Amino acid sequence: MAVGTTRSTAYDGTSYTRGGTVDRADVGALVQSAADGDAAAWKSLVDGLGPLVWSVARSHGLSDADAHEVYQTAWFRFAQNLGRIREPEKTGSWLASTARHECLKLLKASRRWTPTDDPQLLDRPSDDRTPEESVLDSEEAAAQTERVRLLWQEFEELGERCRQLLRVLISSPPPSYQEVSAALGIAVGSIGPMRQRCLRRLRARLEARGTK
Amino acid sequence: MSDLNDEYDEYDERDGQDERAYDERDGELHDGLLEEELREAAAILDPVPAGLRRVAVDAFALHDLEARVAELTFDSLVDAIPVRGESDPPRMLTFSTDGVTVDVEVTADGMIGQLLPPGPAGIEVLSGPRTHTRLTADDMGRFTGEAPPAGPFALRLRTGREVVVTEWLRA
Repeated sequence: MAVGTTRSTAYDGTSYTRGGTVDRADVGALVQSAADGDAAAWKSLVDGLGPLVWSVARSHGLSDADAHEVYQTAWFRFAQNLGRIREPEKTGSWLASTARHECLKLLKASRRWTPTDDPQLLDRPSDDRTPEESVLDSEEAAAQTERVRLLWQEFEELGERCRQLLRVLISSPPPSYQEVSAALGIAVGSIGPMRQRCLRRLRARLEARGTK
Repeated sequence: MSDLNDEYDEYDERDGQDERAYDERDGELHDGLLEEELREAAAILDPVPAGLRRVAVDAFALHDLEARVAELTFDSLVDAIPVRGESDPPRMLTFSTDGVTVDVEVTADGMIGQLLPPGPAGIEVLSGPRTHTRLTADDMGRFTGEAPPAGPFALRLRTGREVVVTEWLRA
């Protein structure tokens, strides 16, 4: 398993970069190309930043339908403002922040009309089968499947805050801390220490189950 | 974020001692590996649904160089004080851009709106990159229509002088 995000310095929250920021280096140029009418650049943005937007929707404990709407609203609004965004290289943060505000609004709306908690959500199998999922279904991969399921189960049983932070951090490619900050409304400097504690909590849970 | 800290304190007390002795680099390597493993699990068990990704790809068609964007400047859901006893009040929205304001009121029964300055306009009710319905604002800038369909929507208004599109949002 590849190590994608090894850090080189301590947790000061500013002096190191995550692997993702390398992947994000092109974002400004892609936004410019898309604004000039390049549909392929737009598609690259959807693939590069879509999982981050999705993770924001998923991390806020919305219903399935609401998560879909948040994702769509963020992209529709981005398309609408393409060419008008002041700092195109920060589009990831812009999308994450837009998604967050929509999440908070939908949560407020649903509190008005229906109970907020949706216990079904966490157990929901994903809509679409990925190629990876199909591979995992094969016999020889059964042990790996089990490992992934256990890991996910323990992740979902973490406290809400840890689950929320980690869900955004583990979007793919890895988001920058600025994007995580925009996604969750927390200070960049607190992300590193929180991440460390949450991951160690998760490891402790896995160890308790004898799976690590 | 005090509740956040509460969640971690318990953990700290349990092994705060060990943590200091813990080799930082080793710990960081482990954290990175576990995070990467979780990232793979998320990609398998909770990916962006394929249909939703397609909607985002198609949304490129919403890039509209002709139109000015009218931003949401009032939303009763956020800005209004709830009226006691009213369990399902209408959603009041105001969108503004230089010199043009669009007031919209959405209920389960339908949508009514007012364009300012008053005047006739052709209106498209957009509900995604591919679908829309048409309305007309009368000489006084008034328009009525069915409630927007589920999901995010936007109004694209063509007045005599210009094209204005409202910020996307869910009604």
